[in-house]
Amino acid sequence: MISGDVRYRIGVDIGGTFTDLVLADSAGAITAFKVASDPADPAAAVMRALDAAAAGKRATPSDLLARCDLFVHGSTIATNTVLERRGARVGCLVTEGFRDSLEIRRGLRPNPWNHREPYPPVLVPRYLRRPVRGRIDRRGAEEAPVCEDDVAAAAAAFARDGADSVAICLFNSFLDDAHERRAADILRRHLPAAHLSISSEVAPIIGEYERTSTAVLNAYVGPRAVAYLRDLDRRLRRLGLPGRLLLIQNNGGAVSVEEIAGRPVALLLSGPAGGVGALRYYSQAIGSDDLISMEIGGTSCDVMLMSRGTVAQTDRIEIDGYDAVTRSIDIHTIGAGGGTIAGVDAAGLLFVGPQGAGARPGPACYGLGGEAPTVTDAQVVLGRLAPATYAGGVVAIDPGRAWRAVETVIGERLGLSVEAAAAGIIRLIEQKLLHALQRISIECGHDPRRFTLVAGGGAGALHGAGVARSLGCRQVYVPRVAGAFCALGMLNSDVRHDFLQVHFGRLDQPDQPIIARDLDKLARAAEATLAREGFAPGQTKLQYALDLRYLGQQWDITVEVPPGALDPAAIRRDFEAEHDRLFGHVQPGGLIEITKLRVAGIGRLPPLAVAAPPGAEKPATAAERRRVWVDAARGWAEVPVYGGADLAPGHRLHGPAIVDEQTTTVLVGPADVLRVDAAGNFVIELGPED
Amino acid sequence: MQATAPVMAEIDPVTLALVQNRLDHIARQMGWVMVRTSRSPIFNQSHDFSCFITDRSGTLVSQADGIPIHTGGGGFAIRALLESFAGDIGEDDAFLLNDPYVAGGNHLPDWVIARPLFVAGELIAFTCNRAHQSDIGGGAAGTYNPEATEIFHEGIRLPPLKLVERGVTRADLWRLLLINTRCPELLDGDLRAMLGSTRIGAEQIAALVAEHGRDAALACFAAVLAHGERRLRNAIAALPHGTYRAEESFDNDCFGPADIRIRVAVTLDGDGATVDFTGTDPQIRGFKNSSLANTHSAVYAAFASFFETDMPRNEGTFRAVRIIAPEGSLVNARPPAPMTMCTVFPAHEIMHACWWALGQADPARNIAGWGKNSFPVTSGTRPGGDTWVLYHWGAGSGAGAVEGRDGFNQMGPMVTLGGLVIPNAETYEQLYPVRVWRQEFRCDAAGPGAWRGGTGVEYEIDIDSDAVYSFRGEGIGRSTGLGVEGGSAGTGGTAVVHGRDGGLCEPPQYALLRFGPSRLAIRSPGGGGFGDPLDREVSRVVRDVRDGVISRDAAASVYGVVLDGDDAADMAATERLRRSRRPRQ
Repeated sequence: MISGDVRYRIGVDIGGTFTDLVLADSAGAITAFKVASDPADPAAAVMRALDAAAAGKRATPSDLLARCDLFVHGSTIATNTVLERRGARVGCLVTEGFRDSLEIRRGLRPNPWNHREPYPPVLVPRYLRRPVRGRIDRRGAEEAPVCEDDVAAAAAAFARDGADSVAICLFNSFLDDAHERRAADILRRHLPAAHLSISSEVAPIIGEYERTSTAVLNAYVGPRAVAYLRDLDRRLRRLGLPGRLLLIQNNGGAVSVEEIAGRPVALLLSGPAGGVGALRYYSQAIGSDDLISMEIGGTSCDVMLMSRGTVAQTDRIEIDGYDAVTRSIDIHTIGAGGGTIAGVDAAGLLFVGPQGAGARPGPACYGLGGEAPTVTDAQVVLGRLAPATYAGGVVAIDPGRAWRAVETVIGERLGLSVEAAAAGIIRLIEQKLLHALQRISIECGHDPRRFTLVAGGGAGALHGAGVARSLGCRQVYVPRVAGAFCALGMLNSDVRHDFLQVHFGRLDQPDQPIIARDLDKLARAAEATLAREGFAPGQTKLQYALDLRYLGQQWDITVEVPPGALDPAAIRRDFEAEHDRLFGHVQPGGLIEITKLRVAGIGRLPPLAVAAPPGAEKPATAAERRRVWVDAARGWAEVPVYGGADLAPGHRLHGPAIVDEQTTTVLVGPADVLRVDAAGNFVIELGPED
Repeated sequence: MQATAPVMAEIDPVTLALVQNRLDHIARQMGWVMVRTSRSPIFNQSHDFSCFITDRSGTLVSQADGIPIHTGGGGFAIRALLESFAGDIGEDDAFLLNDPYVAGGNHLPDWVIARPLFVAGELIAFTCNRAHQSDIGGGAAGTYNPEATEIFHEGIRLPPLKLVERGVTRADLWRLLLINTRCPELLDGDLRAMLGSTRIGAEQIAALVAEHGRDAALACFAAVLAHGERRLRNAIAALPHGTYRAEESFDNDCFGPADIRIRVAVTLDGDGATVDFTGTDPQIRGFKNSSLANTHSAVYAAFASFFETDMPRNEGTFRAVRIIAPEGSLVNARPPAPMTMCTVFPAHEIMHACWWALGQADPARNIAGWGKNSFPVTSGTRPGGDTWVLYHWGAGSGAGAVEGRDGFNQMGPMVTLGGLVIPNAETYEQLYPVRVWRQEFRCDAAGPGAWRGGTGVEYEIDIDSDAVYSFRGEGIGRSTGLGVEGGSAGTGGTAVVHGRDGGLCEPPQYALLRFGPSRLAIRSPGGGGFGDPLDREVSRVVRDVRDGVISRDAAASVYGVVLDGDDAADMAATERLRRSRRPRQ
C-alpha cells in the first residue's frame, strides 16, 4: 500500500549476474533489490525486479510506476552485444584505398609479448568493407566527388549479403561531412530499412581508424540495443510510467531512448558510468566533493576520481579488444575482484590474477567445481566472510573448501601457514588496488590525502580501510547499498549531451570569428537536443571547452572556457595549471595548439534528496563474535560482528569489527572507528597504522 | 607459521611478490610520465623507448615498460657508467650516454638517462630511460644515414656524461647537445621528459626502500633476479637437449648485393642455453652491424617471445642464456663500424635465427618469419626552415604466422612485436605535405600455410615537396618472411618513386636520394606461413578468397581448395584435389 502523495525514482542496473533495482522515495529513503539477470531477455529481469519492489510496498508495478518521476536505466545491452558477438551484420562504406584501416588496427598489440594470440575477429569482414571513389582533401575541400555508382554498388552488395546495418566511414570526413551525408542519402534510397551509422556524426574526430572503429561498433550494437530499449520503454509506459525511460551514457549523463537511438555506442559504459551520480549524491552526506570510488565485484574493480565535484572525462574506451572514441567518464578497470585467482608460478612466485574464476565455477568455497583459491577464499579463511548463504541463496560458502584450496595450492608450495598464505593473497590484491588508485590520483597530479575513499560493490568494503590507509586517505565511506552503487547513482544524474568539432589553430593567434561560429553551432545543437528532451531554457546549462596541447604533443587537455570571445592569456593560465598538475612541468612560452572545440549541454534534473533515518536509541550490540585473523601482529581474535540492520545514525564501533550488510561486508581494522552518519551510511575513520 | 620457504630462502615469499609487482609498476609509471610529457611523436605515438630499473651493480631488475628490442640490454649502459664514474657518482646526479662502443649503448640514436638513487648516503639502484631521439646530427636527418661507413657519419657520440650534477643541469653540456641536432626544440623537451620519468622512478624506489627497509629491498632485488633465472631455466630444461643450428642472411651490404650470413648454434642442456654466433660473417661496410648490447637484446627478445608471455624480462632471466658473439663479426662489430640500423637489421635476423633454432627443439612453438620493412624515411624542410621527418609506417610489412593464428596483415617492425602504433593517414596529412592514397592488403602475397602469413600492404603517397628519401629496403626483392613447419614464404616487397614528369625510379635497397614532388608506391612484403597449406581449414581459405587476399587460382593451386561460381567451396572436389597433392604414404 502506498500512502499519500509519495513519489518515487527508480534506478535499474543490469549486470552480468544480478540486476539491481534501487527505489528512492521523495523523503530520500532508499531500498535496494537484487534479482538474477536474464541474458536472453534482459527486460524480463527488469520486470521481475519491479515486481519485487512493488511487492515490498504491497502495491502493483503499475501503482509504483504511476508514482515514478524518474526511471533511469543503466543497460549492459550494448556491452553484452559486443561481448557475446550478437551484433548486427554490418556493411562498411570506405574511401577507396582505405578498405583495411579497421582490420589493421594501427598495428597495435595491447601486450606485444602476447603475440601468439589473434586479434578479436574483425566486426566487418573485408568483403563487406566496400570502397567508394571520391575524396575530401586535407583542408576540407572536395578533391573528387563521391562516386554515386560505387555507393549504389556497395548497397547492392550489402543487400546480397544481408548486411542490415551500415557504417559510413569516408576519408577526412571530420573536415567536411558532405560526402558521408550524400552517401547516406543514396544508401537510404537503396536500403530503406538499414540502420545507418555516419562516422562524422558518431565520432567527428581526426583519425580514420578510431572514427571507423567507433562507427562500426555503433552499427554493430545499434539494431539490437535500440530495439530492446524501445521495447522496454513501451512496456514501462504501458504499465503506467508517466515519463520516459532514461538511460545512462558513457559520459555519466542521462538520455532518452530516442536521443540515443542514433549513437548507441554511447551506452558501452552505461552501467559503471552511473557511479558519477552516486559520488555526487554521497558528497552531500560526506561534506566533501573530493572522492575516489572503488567498486569491487566478482571479477573486476572500477575506480573513479572526483576532484572538486568534477569527474575526469576521456574520449577513448576499449571494449573486449574493440576501440571506440566517445565522451566517457574516466573509469579505470582492473581485473581484481572476489573471484580473482591466486597461485604460485613454475618458479615459486606467488601471484594474484589477472585470471578470475567468474560466477561459474567461482571461488573454491562455492563448491561449484572451482579448485583454484581466489580472493574470496582468502577472505573466508581469514574469517572475514561468514560461512553462510549470500545473494538470496544463490551462493553458499563452504569454509573447508576455501581452506583446502589455499593450503594446497599456496601454503604448502611456499611453506606458509594457511592464514599467512591467505593474508598474502589479500596483501597482493590490495597492492593491485592501490596501484589502480594511484594511477587515477597521484599519476594525475591529485594528492590522495585530501580524498575520501568510497567503497562500493559487494567486496569494496572488505578492502576499503586497508587500501585507503596505504593511499593516505583519512576516511572510507561505505554506502549501505554499496552493492547497488551504480543503480543508486543513476537516480542522481543530469541529462548531458556532448558535442565536439575538430579545429586547427593556435591559441596565441586564435581565429576568433571561426571559433565563435563553430562554438555557436555546437551550442545550438546542444540547445535543440535539450529542448527535444523537454527542458525549458531555465533548466539547462551549456559548458564550453577547448582541447589544447603544446605543439607536437599527441595528448589533449580539455580546458573549460566562459562563453564569448576567447581570452588567450586566461586560457593559457588554466591550460598550464592543468599541464603542471598532470605532467609536473610547463613549457614557458611554448606554442599551444587548439585541437577541438566542445560544448556540453546539461539538462538539470532535481537532485536526489538525502535520507535522514531515525537515530540510534540504544548502543549497538554485536549479533555474534567470530574468529577472525586481524593482522600479522594480532593473529586470530574473537571479533564482534554486527548486523547492518541493527546500526543507526549515531552508533560508533571500535575496530576490529565486522558489519554484515545486505549487499556488502565491512571490515573495520583494529585502529579504526566506524560510525553511522546522519544519512545512515558507514564512515570508517582510519587510525594511525601501528 | 611453518619453517622457511623451500624455494625462497630467507625472504618472505609474500614480500617478494609485493616487491616484484611494485618494481614493474614503477617502471610502467616511468613510461606513463614519458609518454605524456615527451614532445616527439617517436615517444608519445610510437613508444620507441623503454624504462628500466637496475640494482646498484647495473643489473636490470625490471623493464615492465618498453619495446622488445630493448629487452634486457640496458644493463650494459649502467655498467659502463659505473666503470667510467667509479667513486664519482653522487646524490641528485643524472647521467647521459649513447655510444655503443664505449658506453654500453645499443646504437647512437637511443640515448640513455640514468639516475642513481641513494638512501642514507648509500647507492641502492638506478632508474633509467632509453629513448630514440628525433635527430642527433650525422649524415641524414632522422638518425638513419644509409651511406654511413663509420660511426662518425651517424651522429654525435656520447660517452657516459654527467648531465646533472648534484641537482644542477650542466647548461654548457645541454647547449652542446642542442647544437648537434636538427630538431633542438624536440630534443630539449624530450630530454626533460626523460629526466622527469627517471626522477619519478627514483622517488618511487626510495619509497619502496623506506617501506620494506634497505636489507629487505636489496635482498628482494636479488631474489627477483633469481626467480627470473629459475623461470627460464625451467622452460629450457623441458625441451629436448641438443644443439640446434639456424641461419639468416642479408642480400646486400647497404651498397650492393652481398651474401652475408648470421649463423647461430643454440645448445640447450638441462641447465640453460648457449647461443653461439661463431661462424657469422665479419662486420660489413654499411650500418647494419650490431653492437654487443643490441645482440644481447635481440637474443633475449627472441627467447622471451618464444616462451610464455609472462616470462620475467629482467637480467636474471637471461642469466640462463650464455651468448658467444665473436668480436669483429656482424653481431659484435669493432669500431669504427657504423651500426645505427642494428636495432632493426640485424636484430630482425638474429631473432629469426634464434626462433628457428629453438623451433627445432619445440616445433609447435616455432614462429614464421616476418616480412622485413621496405620503405624509406622521407625528410624535408618547411618554409620556415624547420626540418620534418616522416616515417612511412603505413607501409609496414606482414607478420609471420604461429600455430593458432595467421600472421598479422600489417604491423610495425618485428623488433617491436606490435608495440609501435601505425599513425593514421589523416594525421599525417595534417603534419606533413603529403596525400595518402592507399594502405590496403595485398592479394596472394601472404606466405601460404595452415596458418598463413600476413598479407603486407599496397601503400601509395604523394609527397608534395622536395624531399630526401633515406631507403633501407631490406624487404625489397627476395622473400624475407620465410615459412616454417611446411609453410611457405610471403612475397617480397617493391618500392617505386614516380616523378611528376612521368619519370620513374626503382631505388636500390639502401640509398639517400633526393626527389622533387613525387608519388611513392610501396608493396610491403608478406609474412611467412606455418604448417602445410593443404591443412588450412577450408572455411578460412574461402573467407580469404571472398576478402580478396587470396585469388581463386591460388586457392586451388596452393591450398587445394576448389571454389564454385559463388565462391563457395566445392568440398568433394577439394577433398580430391588435396588428396592428389599430398605425398603418398
